[in-house]
Amino acid sequence: MTQAIQILIIGLTLGGVFALMASGLTLIFGVMGIVNLAHAAFMVAAAFISFFAYKGLGLDPIASIVLTMPVMFVVGLVVYRLFFARSIDDPKKRSVLVLVTFAMALVIEGTLGFFFSNIYRSTNPPYAYDAFLMGPFYLPKGQFYATLMSALILGALWAMLRFTRLGYAIRATTHNRTAAEVVGVNVDRVSMFVFGIGMALAGASGSMISFLFSFYPGKHWEWVAILLSLVVLGGMGSLLGALIGALSLSVISAFVNSAYGPTWSPVTFYLALFAILLIRPQGLLGKKPEL
Amino acid sequence: MSTDTAIAGPADQTDANRSRRIFLGIIIVATLAFPLLQVFFGGFSYWLHMALFLYMNIAIASSWNIIGGFAGYISLGHNVFFAIGGYSAAILFAYFGVSPFIAFPLCGLISMGFGFIIGMMTLRTRGPTFIISTIALVLLAKILLDNWDYIGGSNGISLPLLDMPVEYVKLPFYYAMLAIAAGSVFLGYSVRRWKFGLGLRAISQDETKAEVAGIPTRFYKTLAFALSGLFIGMAGALWGYYLTYLSPAIFLTILVGAKFVLMTILGGRGTISGPIVGAIIFISANEFFVAQFGATELNIVATGVLLLLVLMFFPEGIVGTLKRNGKLPAILDWD
Amino acid sequence: MPHLVVKDVVAGYGSGPDILTGLSLDVEEGKSYCIVGPNGAGKSTLLKAICGLVNIRNGTIDFEGETLLGLRADQVLQRGICFVPQDRSLFPDMTVRENLRMGGYILKDRNEVERRIDEVFEMFPILKERASQHAKTMSGGQQQQLLLGRALVLRPKVVMLDEPSLGLAPKVSKQIFDSMNQLKDAGITIIVVEQNARMGLGYCDWGCVLDLGKLVFEGASRTVLDDPRMAELYLGTRRTGSEK
Repeated sequence: MTQAIQILIIGLTLGGVFALMASGLTLIFGVMGIVNLAHAAFMVAAAFISFFAYKGLGLDPIASIVLTMPVMFVVGLVVYRLFFARSIDDPKKRSVLVLVTFAMALVIEGTLGFFFSNIYRSTNPPYAYDAFLMGPFYLPKGQFYATLMSALILGALWAMLRFTRLGYAIRATTHNRTAAEVVGVNVDRVSMFVFGIGMALAGASGSMISFLFSFYPGKHWEWVAILLSLVVLGGMGSLLGALIGALSLSVISAFVNSAYGPTWSPVTFYLALFAILLIRPQGLLGKKPEL
Repeated sequence: MSTDTAIAGPADQTDANRSRRIFLGIIIVATLAFPLLQVFFGGFSYWLHMALFLYMNIAIASSWNIIGGFAGYISLGHNVFFAIGGYSAAILFAYFGVSPFIAFPLCGLISMGFGFIIGMMTLRTRGPTFIISTIALVLLAKILLDNWDYIGGSNGISLPLLDMPVEYVKLPFYYAMLAIAAGSVFLGYSVRRWKFGLGLRAISQDETKAEVAGIPTRFYKTLAFALSGLFIGMAGALWGYYLTYLSPAIFLTILVGAKFVLMTILGGRGTISGPIVGAIIFISANEFFVAQFGATELNIVATGVLLLLVLMFFPEGIVGTLKRNGKLPAILDWD
Repeated sequence: MPHLVVKDVVAGYGSGPDILTGLSLDVEEGKSYCIVGPNGAGKSTLLKAICGLVNIRNGTIDFEGETLLGLRADQVLQRGICFVPQDRSLFPDMTVRENLRMGGYILKDRNEVERRIDEVFEMFPILKERASQHAKTMSGGQQQQLLLGRALVLRPKVVMLDEPSLGLAPKVSKQIFDSMNQLKDAGITIIVVEQNARMGLGYCDWGCVLDLGKLVFEGASRTVLDDPRMAELYLGTRRTGSEK
């Protein structure tokens, strides 16, 4: 029992970070209908920024989101303008956009690999190896801080979507792109901002993974598959779904990890993905059956 | 294209047919006779290697085209079929002594069977979720094979060399791969002509309408997915034997699957000659890049950049673009 | 004096063929227009071309003496032209009130938007009753009213409706057309595309018949209804049976 609760704690604190990682992915999908297969590759790129900021400037990896978020935001705007702006409303080109993101992921992976080589890296701030002790339980400090930061960022995102004009426009575009256009939402600009925001969220996630996991350029495929699994579980495009998917799968994988070892914990996600496809292809909170 | 031929009239059409037939005859004679150079003169080992590698890729691209081109379902995980073929041949050979040259059709069927089962799960959805599931499939297959000690896990499994004089050892592989490539292209050509192929193309245009029109879309998609695994599995069976060594890292990286996609799209998905043209250009370019840069990282970058360029500027591929502009030579127009 | 002038417009989607093939139409202020014609005649495309949702390849569209060409959908909306598309394009997971707020999205003054929403509630009391309900929980007729109401938040000069009666029971579509006439009485120009041509023409002042992307006939609704040629070709005395 004690052990089960301990695993639950680990799973939930990791789940918060997974939710942050998945939020950008699901937000972009909701508004633009594009699965960004390069999401995790951008995360790894951001992790490299945090890594070098830590090694070079001594900047704390959590604090380095002040660097990674704006940088990735701008990268997102540029990428949107270059690759998506003209194709998004053309149904013929739209169908290959997912391959465009796939190609971007390859380019990022190869470029990072070429310059920094495929070795395992990790920032190691002191709290990454420390834990809070509470009776029989322990709470790794790194995971705790990362989840706290993720919750903060996700809270800010939620408030933005709920209360600002841009938030209304984003939600409207997610629900019904044509209708949003009809009431005067400039969906092109909204899409651009959403891509930027999604990338900024990937940037923040990159800072978190830089000390939670060890990373190397080719690692992003594993992450993107994990993120996509939990996004599909929650229902693509739904933020709440992503959160639920992240927390539940993270907990399950923590149990698998403790029972069968770390090799098999990613398998949890993939098997969950296939299980969802069999049982409820549209995900828990998804509505559109054609997804 | 049908309108073009209608305008061109019957005389031009028979001309085109004749030129196609002559072209095909030359190709058949040339490919069958090519190894004689090695037999009589020697020193063509590298070119034999390149040729059989090319045939394998033609087989792969033409197979991928059935699901990715005709049906419009982009699979990023077709290297799983490649691995299934390779490993089933390796198991049959290493543990039961059945030569891959005998077993390879069976390995293709095994891979097709897996394709049917996987397709039944993953093709319940449309669009993005399917693509996601194909990526997950590769990663899942890699973890499973990495941890399956019976076939060597992540260390891989070694197979004995084919017992033949070294200057002739490539010949059986050459002809087998040639046969696989021919079979795969012929399958694509037939599918395109069957009612089944028409149904697949309807699915790629508008799946809802196709369903309303009475096409059994689920079954067609699944069958297309499975069929596309048939020749890729056969190719994998012989490729593992040819390399004499199989490991999950050779068959099951994302890059391998990405190259399948790139070749087909580069040539023109949904066409018969597109995958062949794509494979020829891609293999040549790949050989050049490897010779120039060597490093795998740059290989990844080059693959990605090439894919990006094709998608941005020629999403219909070489054959598709030429055809749209009416500039496709008759010898390449098999649709 | 016409205030919306469509002249020789050629338009189509993406890189596809021309749907409108040189269409001209003058729209006068405060009148209601019913656009009829067979499937694929370009009726919806005309509305979309006016409000900037389709690229115009040739020709001009002027509103109150200024061109609408090259304007984005939101800029056309600023000029006072509202479009109600045919696919019930509500925001299903937003409440009725939030949907109406989205109607005033291009207005900067939030209090003004709330005031106008109250006006809409006066016109459509049912919307007030359901203000905090999700749009997707409402019936087809109520959704259509919400769409109309959402357009009204902007106090538009022109409202364009694409097949408002699609999928509605005859009684309900009658209600919609009645509300439409209310708007006309308030001085708003109405352009409506209607598959049920007889019903649409019955409610409108002016009928415009489109075929193959061109205007082939126009006149007072009665004239269109009474013209035997029009009746045979476009109003469904013979075609209805064979149309898919």
